[in-house]
Amino acid sequence: MVGADWPAATGRCFAISLAIKTENLSKIYSHDATGRPVGLVDLSLEVEEGQVFGLLGPNGSGKTTTLKLLLGLIFPTAGKGEIFGHPLGSNAYKERIGFLPEGPYFYEHLNGIELLSFYGSLFGMGGGRLAARVEELLHLVGMWDRRFIRVRDYSRGMRQRIGAAQAMINDPDLLFLDELTSGLDPIGAMEMHKLILELRDQGKTVFLCSHLLKDMEPLCDRVIILNRGQMCETGAVRDLLRVENQYRLAVSNFSDDLSRRLVALAQRTEPEEGLLAAYFADQNAALSAAQEASAAGAVIEELGTHHRTLEEVFIEAVGGEE
Amino acid sequence: MRPIFRVARATFHEAWRRRFLNGILVFAILIIGSSWVFAYLQPGAELQMVIDIGLGSIRFFGMLIAVFLGTRLIPDEIERRTIHTILAKPVSRAQFVFGKFLGGAGTVAANLLLMGIAFYIVFAIKAPQLQAQKPEDALIFAAMYSNIAKAILLSFFEIFLVLGIAVVASTLFSWVLSVIFTFVIYFVGQMSDFFQQLADPERGASKAAQILLGTIYRILPHFEIFDIREAILQGTYTPWTTILRIIGQGVAYLVVVLLIGYLVFNEREV
Amino acid sequence: MKPYKIIGWLVVIGLIGAICPLDRSVEYDRLVLGLQQPTPWFQIAAREGGGDKELAITGVTGVIVGAALGGFREVAASMLWMKTHEYWHKGEGLQAKALWIMRLVTLLDPHWLEPWRITAWHLAYNLYVETDDPAMRAKYLQMGVDCLKEGVSWNPDRYDLYLELGWTYFDKVEDFEEANKWFRAAMRYPHPDYVDRLVGHAYERMPDIPQALDAYDYCLKRDPHDGTAKGATLTIRERYLRPWHLTEAGDYDAALDAINEYVLAQPRSTLGLHMKGYVAEQAGRLRLAYDTWKLAADTSALDFLAQRKVVELGHQLGIPVEDTAQYLYMQRVGKEMKVTVPGREKLEH
Repeated sequence: MVGADWPAATGRCFAISLAIKTENLSKIYSHDATGRPVGLVDLSLEVEEGQVFGLLGPNGSGKTTTLKLLLGLIFPTAGKGEIFGHPLGSNAYKERIGFLPEGPYFYEHLNGIELLSFYGSLFGMGGGRLAARVEELLHLVGMWDRRFIRVRDYSRGMRQRIGAAQAMINDPDLLFLDELTSGLDPIGAMEMHKLILELRDQGKTVFLCSHLLKDMEPLCDRVIILNRGQMCETGAVRDLLRVENQYRLAVSNFSDDLSRRLVALAQRTEPEEGLLAAYFADQNAALSAAQEASAAGAVIEELGTHHRTLEEVFIEAVGGEE
Repeated sequence: MRPIFRVARATFHEAWRRRFLNGILVFAILIIGSSWVFAYLQPGAELQMVIDIGLGSIRFFGMLIAVFLGTRLIPDEIERRTIHTILAKPVSRAQFVFGKFLGGAGTVAANLLLMGIAFYIVFAIKAPQLQAQKPEDALIFAAMYSNIAKAILLSFFEIFLVLGIAVVASTLFSWVLSVIFTFVIYFVGQMSDFFQQLADPERGASKAAQILLGTIYRILPHFEIFDIREAILQGTYTPWTTILRIIGQGVAYLVVVLLIGYLVFNEREV
Repeated sequence: MKPYKIIGWLVVIGLIGAICPLDRSVEYDRLVLGLQQPTPWFQIAAREGGGDKELAITGVTGVIVGAALGGFREVAASMLWMKTHEYWHKGEGLQAKALWIMRLVTLLDPHWLEPWRITAWHLAYNLYVETDDPAMRAKYLQMGVDCLKEGVSWNPDRYDLYLELGWTYFDKVEDFEEANKWFRAAMRYPHPDYVDRLVGHAYERMPDIPQALDAYDYCLKRDPHDGTAKGATLTIRERYLRPWHLTEAGDYDAALDAINEYVLAQPRSTLGLHMKGYVAEQAGRLRLAYDTWKLAADTSALDFLAQRKVVELGHQLGIPVEDTAQYLYMQRVGKEMKVTVPGREKLEH
């Protein structure tokens, strides 16, 4: 890590250290016609080191506001927060973080090398070390061939790539990424996801903001879902997606008899493409139903705990707010 | 401390490319060069006109560049959102403001240098001719070379002060308002002796007026101190102690202005 | 407010206060070096009230007014000055609006000598000939002189305006005493050679022979090759020295004879006639003096001194005369001549 005096936290330690912690963090801009506050209200979160944390929600829910508060770009109207133990906005933790904003926007007249060198120099990096780091990052984000093109001639995807590079110029322990894959084609998006997982493997902490719930599902360890500036759901992704006491049996190649039998046994059934899905409250009930189906000659396609998708979690959480 | 210079250098490179400012520079140099021609219209006042138009152009166009560059340095970063990635790095807002100012000052200085050189060339060519016409002014001419160089040096600091005010104004007001504000402060500061005259009890100023006008006089930057035109035309030798004192006052005031800028910008949300 | 902000603002206020002594020392330096150029706001404002506003505005464009503020006063003055040239070439150079602008130029840039000189010239010479009324002419003379005097007050260490003032007195008013006062002032600063000689010329015309010789002597000491001074000295010695000495001695008849020698040979000589008139005055022979001065005045239309003397003597003798501009001018400034003859009050008709 560049210029850091802090003890490294790799993976899970005996004592859990927090990368980010907020207490009732609020940024209220105004109140709307019905008297509801506009902005961010009472956000309390904890992000452990080594996690990939997702701040999810629709556009306008306060994600970017939260990000800006954490980075000290704007100031809270109430509450407080810490990053690596330092209060929000202080320069002390900025040595260890990287930030990729939505957009992103850079000095138009610089090319890839100049831009990264500039950002690197802000950390006090220089000379051969900086040049080597710049080259390394340009290769990493796939911009090496286009390193002499000026930012003003960049495509959206190129901006995103160079943005990721500058966010990592100081080999940060904590990365803030706002709408990481916006503007990227599926291959580019996939590369970014791969990168995040690599970073997690290296023990880094990643703080993601996104409205693309489907993409976030495989990446995040924990999430907070925001809606209209308020937190409406939080937890480990695994826990959120798991549905208590719901077991799912999906069969194919079934006879009408079997389907009638399953309808009787299960809490509910749903036909899906070529399959019949049956849901049981009880693991044993599901198992016995599976044995019956197998005995009747059907093919067991799936048998296990039923998982929701993050989207379903979100809709449910938001719906609860209305 | 280093981030200041990194930001400054980036600012300088960016500002140098602005076509509008380069246009002003070219125009200014043309005017300075053409003061040669203007002078022919006015037999008997040639030297005066060369100096007035030359130095006047440097100060006027330098001021324009300072105002239009200075009022955009910070707002552009905020509006174009390039500031976000910078302030997310270990760069304090103070370092950012000072760095932007320093880069702007470098740009302005480069412009002034070019204009100053152009003017000095015009003057150096014209002076011997004019001296031949008026030999009794030999003493005046002898002192003029150093006086003009000193005047150009002083104009640097005058324009730096304008730039500082422009940058700080841009953190307080909208762009249009900050431009107007800077122009007003500049022109009113040029005639600060007016407030001194108004506040003079011998002119019948009331106690309240004395205090109010005296305070205004105290707060205003006194831009007229940078003007040594009289010395140039009269051939008075201006000692370096005086020049340094004037520069010192200018720099002191600039420090005050930048300090105000720091206090304001530190709480500025981006 | 957070504590650091309070401290910050206190430091700001403190610094502004701390700049005071530096400001004062800079002010002092600038005063000593003559760099101070306090804008004559109150005079400009007074002008505004006195002049014809409508006329003024036609001449002054917004740009010029804008440039007048700030340190570009001098450039504004230059631009306004070019405008007066424009007026001059269009033939409107002497109209009120042009004059108003000229005066404004002198106020905007009081250390620029040309406007003072030209404005005074317009007043004392050009406007002078535009009218035939002696009273108006006297007024214009006074305005021209006052203009130059103000110019001098702004530029006390340049010879230029002292010379102009002296020359105006020499040429247009022919008050040679006053002219010399100003020539002498011009001589205290770097000046061209001819200024020294002008002193001599003035004394010659008054006439005051010893002073004239003194003045030329100074010229020759300064420059032994000064041909004019040498020639003038010889001429004075030849023609005027004897009548002068005789007059001083009180032997007026001999003096008149002596000067008549020259005058009869050169009846149109201005200096000769002046000398004769002077002797006659000193002799108390006012009628003779009157006739002599009248002859001089008729000989040269520009001999204002002679014209003035004619008027003065005419008043004293009871002869109907028309007041000239120069006479009226001298009256205005309280310098009309009373003939005083040392020891002799006798009037001869």
